[in-house]
Amino acid sequence: MSETIAFLKPRADVLARRSTIIADLADLLPPEGLVHEPRELVPFETDAFVSYRRLPLAVALPTSTAEVAAVLRYCHRYGIPVVPRGAGTSLCGGAIPQEDAVVIGLSRLSRILEIDPFNRTATVQAGVTNLAISDAVSPEGFFYAPDPSSQLACTIGGNIGMNSGGAHCLKYGVTTNNLLGVTLVLVDGTVIELGGKHLDAAGYDLLGLVCGSEGQLGIVTEATVRILAKPEGARPVLFGFETSEEAGACVADVIGSGIIPVAIEFMDKPAIEICEAFAKAGYPLDVGALLIVEVEGSEAEMDAMLSLIVEIARRHGVRTVRECQSATEAALIWKGRKSAFGATGRIADYICMDGTVPLSQLSHVLKRTGEIVAGFGLRVANVFHAGDGNMHPLILFNANDPVEAAKAETAGNEILKLCVDAGGCLTGEHGVGIEKRDLMRHQYSEADLAQQMAVRAAFDPQWLMNPSKVFPLEGRPAA
Amino acid sequence: MSAILVPVCEEEAAGMIRAAAAAGRRLAISGGNTRSGFGSPVSADAVLRSAGMSGIVAYDPAEMVMTARAGTPLAEIEETLLDNGQMLSFDPIDHRAIMGTDGEPTIGGVFATNASGPRRLSAGAARDSLLGIRFVNGRGEVIRAGGRVMKNVTGLDLVKLLAGSHGTLGFLTEVTFRVLPRPKTEQTIIVSGLDDEAAARVMAAAMGLSVEVSAAAHLPESVRGRFLGGHLPEGAATVLRLEGLAASVPVRAARLRELFGRHAPVSANENEASAHLWRQIRDVAPYADSTSRPVWRVSVAPSAGFQVVAALRLEAGIDAFYDWQGGLVWMRMEADPEPDLLRRAIAHFGGGHATLMRASAQMRTTVPAFEPLSPAVAALSARVKQQLDPAGIFNPGKMAGL
Amino acid sequence: MQTSFTAEQLVDPQVAESEKILRRCVHCGFCTATCPTYVTLGNELDSPRGRIYLIKDMLENGRPADAEVVKHIDRCLSCLSCTTTCPSGVDYMHLVDHARVHIEKTYTRPPLDRFTRALLAAILPYPARFRAALRLAGLARPLAPVFARVKALSPFAAMLQLAPKALPSASPASSGLLAEPGLRRGRVALLEGCAQPVLDPGINAATRRLLARFGVAVVSPKGEGCCGALVHHMGREADALDFARRNVDAWMAEIEGEGIDAILITASGCGTTIKDYGHMLRLDPAYAQKAARVSALARDVTEYLATLDLPRLAARGLTVAYHSACSMQHGQKITLQPKALLKAAGFAVKDPAEGHLCCGSAGTYNILQPEISAQLKQRKVRNLEATQPDVVATGNIGCITQIRTGTEIPVLHTVELLDWAYGGPKPARLPA
Ligand SMILES: Cc1cc2nc3c(=O)[nH]c(=O)nc-3n(C[C@H](O)[C@H](O)[C@H](O)COP(=O)(O)OP(=O)(O)OC[C@H]3O[C@@H](n4cnc5c(N)ncnc54)[C@H](O)[C@@H]3O)c2cc1C
Ligand code: SF4
Ligand code: SF4
Repeated sequence: MSETIAFLKPRADVLARRSTIIADLADLLPPEGLVHEPRELVPFETDAFVSYRRLPLAVALPTSTAEVAAVLRYCHRYGIPVVPRGAGTSLCGGAIPQEDAVVIGLSRLSRILEIDPFNRTATVQAGVTNLAISDAVSPEGFFYAPDPSSQLACTIGGNIGMNSGGAHCLKYGVTTNNLLGVTLVLVDGTVIELGGKHLDAAGYDLLGLVCGSEGQLGIVTEATVRILAKPEGARPVLFGFETSEEAGACVADVIGSGIIPVAIEFMDKPAIEICEAFAKAGYPLDVGALLIVEVEGSEAEMDAMLSLIVEIARRHGVRTVRECQSATEAALIWKGRKSAFGATGRIADYICMDGTVPLSQLSHVLKRTGEIVAGFGLRVANVFHAGDGNMHPLILFNANDPVEAAKAETAGNEILKLCVDAGGCLTGEHGVGIEKRDLMRHQYSEADLAQQMAVRAAFDPQWLMNPSKVFPLEGRPAA
Repeated sequence: MSAILVPVCEEEAAGMIRAAAAAGRRLAISGGNTRSGFGSPVSADAVLRSAGMSGIVAYDPAEMVMTARAGTPLAEIEETLLDNGQMLSFDPIDHRAIMGTDGEPTIGGVFATNASGPRRLSAGAARDSLLGIRFVNGRGEVIRAGGRVMKNVTGLDLVKLLAGSHGTLGFLTEVTFRVLPRPKTEQTIIVSGLDDEAAARVMAAAMGLSVEVSAAAHLPESVRGRFLGGHLPEGAATVLRLEGLAASVPVRAARLRELFGRHAPVSANENEASAHLWRQIRDVAPYADSTSRPVWRVSVAPSAGFQVVAALRLEAGIDAFYDWQGGLVWMRMEADPEPDLLRRAIAHFGGGHATLMRASAQMRTTVPAFEPLSPAVAALSARVKQQLDPAGIFNPGKMAGL
Repeated sequence: MQTSFTAEQLVDPQVAESEKILRRCVHCGFCTATCPTYVTLGNELDSPRGRIYLIKDMLENGRPADAEVVKHIDRCLSCLSCTTTCPSGVDYMHLVDHARVHIEKTYTRPPLDRFTRALLAAILPYPARFRAALRLAGLARPLAPVFARVKALSPFAAMLQLAPKALPSASPASSGLLAEPGLRRGRVALLEGCAQPVLDPGINAATRRLLARFGVAVVSPKGEGCCGALVHHMGREADALDFARRNVDAWMAEIEGEGIDAILITASGCGTTIKDYGHMLRLDPAYAQKAARVSALARDVTEYLATLDLPRLAARGLTVAYHSACSMQHGQKITLQPKALLKAAGFAVKDPAEGHLCCGSAGTYNILQPEISAQLKQRKVRNLEATQPDVVATGNIGCITQIRTGTEIPVLHTVELLDWAYGGPKPARLPA
């Protein structure tokens, strides 16, 4: 595919000093802490947004905040761009490097530092995976609520970078609502602490600003997150509908009736087939659309809530209602859902859109999405967080066919614009990265964007941090 | 401070701000002016009020989202929500009684001060409910940030930045926020007679259970009589709020009573009495005493709250009660505000911050109201301010250094 | 994932297969999280996704292997944890097999490395040589710390440390135990293999007793031997295929003779390879079909035992930490049967944390990559000991040897415990 999204032109002066930079950085890092052999750099050329690739200049793998600070200080002094990288599961190219950039990989900062049940917090290094936090606090009866489908692999640093969400965020909020504090290394190597174990921090809400800043305001090396008591019980229930429209309308009605389940996930027929083939979770194959609705609490509470939901679903002509009978079955149902994207790889390449729309627009946008993709002669599978209107159309295509790949990209852009036009936004949880960068003007006015860029520049006046991402390449102010 | 500017629309506001910026005229920003005691005294040349921009712009209960102009009275919003069985989940504190102000709180002021109440512990702060804003920056440009959908990570989160910035970064003109269904029923479990430390343990234990306590506060014996007209049972009251479906609240309440009843007398309050109690806690009823004795709002880890109080007691005359599981301490000083003592104690017990909410006029000019920031964070904050309000015309002096 | 192979490259069936595998990978990164080398080293190059990418780059460019690529492929344990995790069904095993063959063909290892590998390949698969070597190792043990100090010699230190202090005598009672008369329920071939009978002949002895007790006749066809896994994982394809053909011949004689219901394997590492004979020999017209038949009959001993419906026994107050060998859980996807059998036999079974992580044994890995192996062993032992077991049970001789060097808790093969529970002698390693 010929690329339609440009990266910044590599800084010639940086490229020219490559070998010096490598020698200097190697001195700042422990043995095997710097990857620089051209062949070894190849696996770092992309993240989970594989359509775009760039080799970095080098990859630093620091093991402490001090090492991160040393590398940043050095890069800052010599005007070398840096790209923070967690697990590289970004779906918008947030962790894709560029030729003149040093990737700072946080994977070696993987220690759980403190679990504090009294204050219900966990303090971990940035490279700890999302699921590892829940696993670590589980023996004490707690969990970490935001649960991106990639939670097995993605890091808390990446979650903060993208302000990631997940199925259970309908009730518990996304990363920013569960983050209490960070240790942040600024572009010049200054280490600051924002927040802590208290619920609100002093001064401006810089923590809120850093969350979702896609590695452009600094590098998170430690995070303190809120953990919650595990619910007494949780029960996912499968609701099968004839059509996506019925399922969509049912979602809007459930929320509108004042019931907020922990999660409402949506799958259309192609998605059901893909997930069932992988997880054998017992999803009904004879329906057009499926909702996974999870309720929590005591048996009595779950029953009460479910009966209300079932009643609403009946009004929307639900065809099958299946309550799961055991913890194993529940785990399989979630495994299927959380593996949806990966499992799609069994049948095709895909790109995943992430627009969010008001619930009242859900049915309309689903329908239009289908039409847009069909218009390009491609197929689409929908599997997403319906309760908060966060759509994930997966556009299926053949990556080895450049024409199809280009069509998929164009279709994706049209869908995202559709979401914005329907009163929503370009991205609900995956971030802008490079993928949606050039669509930012569709959502924001020049003044809106200029203001965001000015604030960004207050942190990084030279635009060294992850510079090709998020903001259109033209019109970037320096502080 | 002579002129009072009351624009009736965003465009007019932008024009006024442009003019002020051009003339280097400094503006004190206010909504209903009920929270004017927040922060240090502002030295400005004119007042810019949002009160002229009022009214709910959009509200679809099924979407659980409301958009309102910044000057809309909070009361109007809460009434509209009540009619639809919904509410602001973060429970905004009403500062009038404690600060001795009057007037009508506005929704813009709520978000500009990130005013959150007891339910903040479980449901998040005002900033967590705020989805989108429109504001005028210090250059007089109208800026839109965020949106009206629940999930949105498109670009930098200026919404969070503006929330709680106390009018020092921009003049909010419109806010869009998430609302939640109002719980059908509620109950407060009262565990009596615990000292501060035991209470902190009980609250931590309760929050560690799966019963979904939505708020947890501790009212020591010294303040107990100031709540519910003195009708709380004998001894300090550790109070735990349960809200939700009629089918589930009693079940969860029974669990708490069972657990804590083994060690201390336990009683309960239901519905209106319970709601009233939490309003009083939210609005700091015990210290709404029409004096100007210094009142601090201290935010620390829940395990640190009682320790900070105990340490201070050795050196100063104070009275205190706790919200947010013990992590929010409302503290009234008998005489001097003792900022250094207090801030040292906070730092000693793991960090956090203190805000001077009330003090004599003289004290307010000498004691920085907000916790001083570390030099690096202060410098960064100043750079951020510079990008939104380059001429420094918004609320100068309110937040030291910003 | 997009690939860029030329039409000529794709004529090679190996390349064509690898291309298919690569196309399935969507670069989601899930597999990194469960890869033992990634969690130990924290470098994506030492993760499945990184290795897949390295292999892709090498194959697409038709490039000979180089030191960098080899370093990261060599660090792969072939534990296949990544395959269990991958939602997209990426067949990492056959991809890395191909890469190893490519390395062996196109890369010249440094002399000492070559020597070590040649030595291992020449000794391990042959019981007599192995036994002799272990005797020598006993004599040389005092040299281990000396070797350990020189990085290039560390494999030798590892070998010496792994060699058991005392060697059991050659196969007691390995010869034909007959099925209890009157209730013949089946006839199976039992793989003797290579290293296991030397290191721990008690395992197959216990298997024979147990099977006999339940009416299963056990045969050991002449000519069978090492399954080929050891050399296969070193990329020595020709050697591996020779071992495979020899075993296929031996078993085919039995299959076409009196007939057998299954080929039982008591070392899951070997089981994984034998189950893959069909694939390994798919391009050999003379053997493709026969190999497929053999693979279809191959069973781990616990898989087979689970079909026998053994009687439930009363609880015996002994806690067993069950360590699932990688070749068992990831290679053969056998997760439930061994534990179910132990539970039915009256043992209390505990699952250690991080059960998906390798113990670091991995064939010759603990010799060739001693540092990483040692870290994994430590982690494994810590997790096993945390369950406070009386005994550790597992189904692979490699793991048994590895874990034994890290803990005082007795480590036994699952069948040894089962044999004891169903009337056999108490395993000698258990305290009286
Ligand atoms: C199959 C699949 C399913 C997914 N499902 C979800 C989902 O349900 N919800 C969801 O929200 N996302 C989902 N994602 C997207 C992705 O997993 C998230 O964006 C995740 O948070 C990225 O984490 P990471 O560690 O991989 O970060 P990376 O991809 O490495 O980086 C993400 C961004 O954060 C920055 N960054 C990383 N670490 C740091 C740090 N320490 N400090 C500062 N910046 C940093 C990077 O520069 C980059 O901009 C999914 C991805 C995949 C492949
Ligand atoms: S086989 Fe094991 S060591 Fe090798 S890449 Fe897969 S998980 Fe990692
Ligand atoms: S889990 Fe599978 S699809 Fe995902 S990166 Fe690993 S091998 Fe590729």
